[in-house]
Order: sequence, then C-alpha cells, then structure tokens
Amino acid sequence: MNAIETEGLCKYFREKKALDNLNLEVPKGIIFGYLGPNGAGKTTTIRVFLNLVKPTKGTAYILGEDIRESRNYLRKIGFLPDVPNFYNFFTAREFLSFIADITDIENPKKRIEEILELVGLKNEKGRIGTYSRGMKQRLGLAQALLPDPELLILDEPTSSLDPQGRKEVLDLIHSLKDNKTIFFSTHILTDVERICDRIGILKEGRLLLEDDIENIKKRYRRRRILIEVDDLKRFSERIKETLKPNSIEVKNNSIIIEVLEIYNTLKEIPQIIVQENLLLEKLEVLEPSLEDIFLEVTNAT
Amino acid sequence: MLLKLMKKEFYEFRKTGKLIAMIITFLIFSIVSPITAKIMPELIRSISSEITIIIPTPTWKDAFLQFFKNLNQMVFLIVVLLFIGSIAEEKNRKTAGLILSKGVDRKKWILAKFLFQISLVFILTIISFFLCYYYSVILFPDTEFDVSLQSCILFLVYMTFIISLTIFSSSIGNNIIQAGGIFITIFIILGILNMLSPVRDYNPIYLSSLENQWVTTGVEWNSAVKTIISSITLSVILIFIGLYSFNSQELE
Repeated sequence: MNAIETEGLCKYFREKKALDNLNLEVPKGIIFGYLGPNGAGKTTTIRVFLNLVKPTKGTAYILGEDIRESRNYLRKIGFLPDVPNFYNFFTAREFLSFIADITDIENPKKRIEEILELVGLKNEKGRIGTYSRGMKQRLGLAQALLPDPELLILDEPTSSLDPQGRKEVLDLIHSLKDNKTIFFSTHILTDVERICDRIGILKEGRLLLEDDIENIKKRYRRRRILIEVDDLKRFSERIKETLKPNSIEVKNNSIIIEVLEIYNTLKEIPQIIVQENLLLEKLEVLEPSLEDIFLEVTNAT
Repeated sequence: MLLKLMKKEFYEFRKTGKLIAMIITFLIFSIVSPITAKIMPELIRSISSEITIIIPTPTWKDAFLQFFKNLNQMVFLIVVLLFIGSIAEEKNRKTAGLILSKGVDRKKWILAKFLFQISLVFILTIISFFLCYYYSVILFPDTEFDVSLQSCILFLVYMTFIISLTIFSSSIGNNIIQAGGIFITIFIILGILNMLSPVRDYNPIYLSSLENQWVTTGVEWNSAVKTIISSITLSVILIFIGLYSFNSQELE
C-alpha cells in the first residue's frame, strides 16, 4: 500500500502551473526524496498534502484517505516546514506541551522529554524567540515527531544545519525508517543519496522521474571508464583505433572514454596495455552521481 | 479543542504582556473616571483663578460619562491594536499553517480566538464597571446602579461588534497592515453613516452615543432595540464571513 498517491494532481496559481498532472507514488516504510530546482513545486505539493491549499484538479490519497474528502489523516502526519516559525513567547517545552494538547497525546510529559532528548534540546530553557535557525529546525523536527506520526513530511529538514547537525538529523531520519514513511524534500543531493530509497525529480510542476535510486543509477549508467597509464598519448591513439569510443577525453594524467558496450571494452583494455607494454596505474568504471542524473534530467527538458 | 486553543491565547496574552496592558488600561480608567469627574471643577477653577467660571456641581453621571468616554476611546484603541493581528499575523508568520496542519479545524481555530477575546473584554469590562461604580458611590452617594449597568450592557454589545469586526478584518487580511486597513475603512464608513439619521438607528457605532444618552437622560430600551439587534446581527454576519473566508484561503 502507498502512503502517498496522487492522481493527476494540478495546482494553478492564475496562469502559473505550480503542479501539472502530478502522478506520484510513495510506498509505505521508505524514505522518499523529493527533488527539484527552486520554484519546481515541491513546497506546493506539500501544502496540498497538508490541506493548506486546495488542488485545482486531481487529488491525492494520504494514508488511504482522499484529501478532498477528509482531514483525519492530518492527525497521522508530522510536518516540518522549510522555514520553521513558532510562537516566540513559548519555551520549547511549553510549545511541545501545546502541540501535545491539541493532538491528544497520551502521557505528554514523558513523550516531550523523550523528543527533546532525541533532537538535542533537552537543556534549552529559553524562549523560542532566542533560538538560532538550527535550533528552530530541531524544534521543528521535535514537534513533527511528537505525535509519533505514521508519515513524516519534511520540507528541507537540513538546509540550515551545520555539518555535524546535518549528520545527526540525517541519522535520526534514517533511524525512523523502520516504522514510518518519510517524504523528504530537499536541494541537497548528497543527503538524498545518503538516506533515500526512492526519489522523484520535479521541474516546473511536472514529475520528470520517479524510481528507486538503484534503478535510476542503472538506467543512467553512462558506460564511462577512467584509465591512467604511463603513456597517455600512445594509449589514446590505440584506443581510438581499436575501440572506437563514443567520446574520449584526456584530463591531466588520465583518460576518460565513453563506450557503447562496457563488458567487452573492459576485457580489451588490459590486452591493449599488454600489447603496448604500458603500465596500468588506474582503471575505474565511472558511475553517475545523483547530481549528474539530476542535472541531466532537469536540463533535458 | 476550543478550550485548548483558548488556553493558548490566554498564555500568549500573559507571556507577551498584553494581558497586563489590558488589565491596567481597564482598571486605570475605572478608578480615574469618577475621581476626575469629582475634582475636574476644582482643577478648572485653580487654573483660571482670575476669570469666574460657572461649573455645575459634578454628579455620578459625570463619572460614568467620563468612564464610557475612556472606554470608547482608549480601551477601544488598546483592544483593536492588540486583537487586529490575531489571525493575520499568524498567517503572515506561517504559524497558522503549522497548527492547522495538525488537523485542527479552521473554524474552531478562529472561534477560539473570538471567544477568548470576547471573554477577556467582557470580564475586564464587568470588573472595571464595578470598580467605577464602587468609587462613584464613595464620591457620589446617589449613583444609580441600574442606569449605569444598563449603559454598560450597551458597551458590551458595542464591543461584541468591534471584536467581530477585528476578527473579520484579521481573517481577510494577510498581515497586520492589511487587517488594520480593512478595519479602519469599515469603521470610517460606519462613522460617516452615523451622521445620516435614517440609517443611524441600525448602526453599531450609534451604541457609543446611546451609552452617554442613557446615563444623561435615562434608560430607554425602545430607542436602542433596532441598534442592538442590527449590531448583534452584523457581528454574527462578520464572524460568519470571516470563518467562510478563512476556510477557503490558501495558507503557507
């Protein structure tokens, strides 16, 4: 069963198509990375899911409920906004206590202490108005996790954290995967690569790609090989003659070739090296990074 | 849910000093009004000692005229300033979206604000009325309780309308400036309409004149029925439109 499913979801702001026929599927129990350049429609998608804006056409099913017909599913969701703003007059404990109150959490005091410990705000006594952006981000995560939701929707959860804080938050999100579904919008591709099982790439409101990360990498494998030998000039001439690669690029003391078929090429390269009596220093099959794929997908349209 | 949300409003007012500002404003005017009425003639005489000024002997009516004048000016201003951003600023700061994304009903969220504001103003008005009455009786033993209390009821109806108008303005405006602009525009229009006698009887602003009229010439419910009914009706309509508008708004 899917935690999130959209059917032809459209959201227009006057003439602008913020979401255009979005068909998205997020299976339960995974971390889904929702990628896209600025203005792609990521936050609009989240606002539609949270019933803060109404879709122009189509619908979404969140935890099995149609968002046009019910709001009960919101009780099972934890949401972290991209710029977390809270009531500045509250302390973290007071704010979480208010959230516990309106979401009917059982044994709230114990739960609040657990959550504050989890996000590293246990010793914070000051008002939220005095918090740094990173601390607000942690508090945002705390209020999202407080009701122990089935589905976590995180809008740029690591954007304002330092490297250490980012690692801690990513580890925390990853540790929640077993019993929650996490929908995670971000610009930071390394974060996605690190913890997500599946991704969707959005541009101008349209979903360009949606699949498991492994499948996407296989699909976008470029069949590129990096080779380092002691005589690049001689080697590149032989490669051109024998392998007839799609492209050949000499960079510093290495050569990168792109071929149509990788397995036979990998057998032939050592033979050439032996025949030419060259010294092989490095041989590496280059896998495309998520960034490469992201740029390729978003630039192709 | 309404009580939980009202509790948060109360907490906000307490923690941000708004509550203490309101209490002080109400209490100061309830105590100062009868005292001012009593000593004003002496003050005027002491300032202009060379000119003979005939000032009528102050009565309890002067105390309550002063009290309602202060309520309609200073307290009105404080109430509007403190309440006008209650919804618009939460939309602007995106806290509204955060709380509503927890499954809180939009109508209940607005109603909780309205009920909290009206409860606070009613409680403080009633306390300050009794304080004003207490000091009036000390300074003017013939103070009429019935007349002053009934005039106070008119003020409560008037404040119900004003709070409904702030809720309406705040529901529609996206920030405190917009909400304030909507409030002022409607208030000015009502002020102009109040000068036209055919519609004045149906104008909530006319209630503030009636309070003084009742204190001066005595209670006359017949003359106020139209104004009270139209004020309550308009308050209900404003709240209803505010709820409807907010319910269909797209939030950040």
